[in-house]
Amino acid sequence: MNEFASLSPLLILVGASLIILLLEAFGQWSKRWLHSLIALASLGGCAIFAATFWGKGAGYFQGTYTLDNIAILMTVLFSLAGFLVILVSLSYMIQHGFNRGEYFSLLLFAVSGLIIMTTSEDLIVIFLGLETLSVASYVLAGLKKEDEKSSEAAIKYFLLGSLASSFLVLGLAFIFIHSQSFSLKEISFVIDKSENSPLFLIGFSLVLIGFGFKVALVPFHMWTPDVYQGAPTPITAFFSVGPKAAGFLVLFRLLRPFLEPIFSRQNLQIILWLLSALTMIVGNLVALRQKNVKRLLAYSSIAHAGYLTIALMTQDGQGLIFYLLAYLFMNIGAFSILIALSPNGQEFHELDDFNGLATRAPWLAASMSVFLVSLAGFPPTAGFLAKFYVFSTAVRQGYTGLVIIAVLTSLISVFYYLRIIVHMYMSKQISKITIKADDPILLVVIFFCLYGVLQLGLFPGRVLTLIQKAVLSLPPL
Amino acid sequence: MATFLFYLLSIITVASVVAMIFSRHQAHNALLLAVAFTSLGGLFALLQAPFIATVQIIIYAGAIMVLFIFVIMMIDLRQPFPPLRKKWVFALGALLIVVIFFELIMVIKSFPTASKATNLDFGHPASLGKLLFSKYLYPFEITSILIVAAMVGSLYLARRKER
Repeated sequence: MNEFASLSPLLILVGASLIILLLEAFGQWSKRWLHSLIALASLGGCAIFAATFWGKGAGYFQGTYTLDNIAILMTVLFSLAGFLVILVSLSYMIQHGFNRGEYFSLLLFAVSGLIIMTTSEDLIVIFLGLETLSVASYVLAGLKKEDEKSSEAAIKYFLLGSLASSFLVLGLAFIFIHSQSFSLKEISFVIDKSENSPLFLIGFSLVLIGFGFKVALVPFHMWTPDVYQGAPTPITAFFSVGPKAAGFLVLFRLLRPFLEPIFSRQNLQIILWLLSALTMIVGNLVALRQKNVKRLLAYSSIAHAGYLTIALMTQDGQGLIFYLLAYLFMNIGAFSILIALSPNGQEFHELDDFNGLATRAPWLAASMSVFLVSLAGFPPTAGFLAKFYVFSTAVRQGYTGLVIIAVLTSLISVFYYLRIIVHMYMSKQISKITIKADDPILLVVIFFCLYGVLQLGLFPGRVLTLIQKAVLSLPPL
Repeated sequence: MATFLFYLLSIITVASVVAMIFSRHQAHNALLLAVAFTSLGGLFALLQAPFIATVQIIIYAGAIMVLFIFVIMMIDLRQPFPPLRKKWVFALGALLIVVIFFELIMVIKSFPTASKATNLDFGHPASLGKLLFSKYLYPFEITSILIVAAMVGSLYLARRKER
């Protein structure tokens, strides 16, 4: 019974999502606030139920579903992301004309897809979780049906995402032919015996391409700016946090058996080194030329994928999860400010629209500055510590060259982040756009993200020990 | 009887595929392809693979053909394609045919005998069902979530604006 109860986080989400659909079909139009309440309650319940299994290592379905400590941490992180995204979209969805139950339902399906991906070490389950996430994401990107850009984002995401999925499936098939198994544990046994099987290498590279697409690593990043710009802003915030975190965690689990320092898998390390360096350089350089802040944040998210790849390469689980958590707060915070600048079905996200924001809405400008400074990686914010941990582990393991590239590209990134701050504080003209600064829920979310960024930046101790415990509880290989 | 059926189905398959290649009308092409898929399903049934036969008919002759016909309907091509006149297309096609022909010969030569390649249960619905409800139960359940998500999403996108 206890084992079955470990499924509860997933069951709550899927159940709530189906209930919302039924309410949408048969419920009263006037009681629509109920949808958001159910969605929020289910996400909260999901996090709480997951947390009760801390340290128990419960699982179900013959070990294809395992709620180990890392999975619990990620489940809490995804629930938090979903919770914040729903809160910031409450007034946005009414003003932008997609006030429907399907929105909550699809978002909950997407979050359950994320949880499915991170709670398994079985490649089929991971793939199906990824597909659940993707299918829900394609529709979420196109929620604004009347908006051309939103539909364009949905179509582009769908076409390129399907292509990436087919790479992934082909890769899984090759790996299965080679090892006769979908379980990561069994695969790692087989691999140790046969060093360089071409089938396995092809399969593994194809899987890497599939996930590289999902987390927007550089040769596979083409979809990111358009999708991020076209999708409704709360959804963009979700895309930049959720799928990225899940993708990196799956890659972390996937690469663990193959990156042990004892074996020193040269080829794989070279590939990851190149991907990481390319992602950091291209992401940051192209971001310099962006005039649209939403697009700029898209390129910034590509650049951050590069930094995260360093943590992946050094198998620094602690640094990786801490980075993802810090990234959640600063990114959802920054996107919440963008939502405050999207009143009445319009979106004002050009750089010039930020002119003089400091005099018109000083609190918004100040919070935005903190988030941007954190994204750039200045102390005393969470972004600084996150980068610091990842880079210092990399230096200790001898990747000095890569860290030099990372630090240089971070310096480049300071320029475009600071440019937004300059527009807000030092511009002579003042833009006349309407600002929606009186929405209490939005302000609460911004304040909460601000708190998260500063808490993780100044007193990260308790969170760090929690993450450390989770990483140490992973079974040795 | 089985031999007779085998030749009958093979002839139908080959004939409809050849007719499909030479026909220049999209709807006829789709129809002939459906005939080819269905008779191919019959061939699988003759080889005592009932599950693969059913799947062949349901998925290829059913679902995929519906997809084709939708696409033909949507892009709305009134007149058939003009015949190809470019020489390099023929040359490339001929080259590919030769390559595939030799590949097939090599595959057939190195093919393991039937008893080695499959056991009796292979492709049988019962064994598949057992696997689906034991070893692959969790993926099976996730698939249902995936399908619900896809259905909700497509219904949302396809519906007209209301109120």
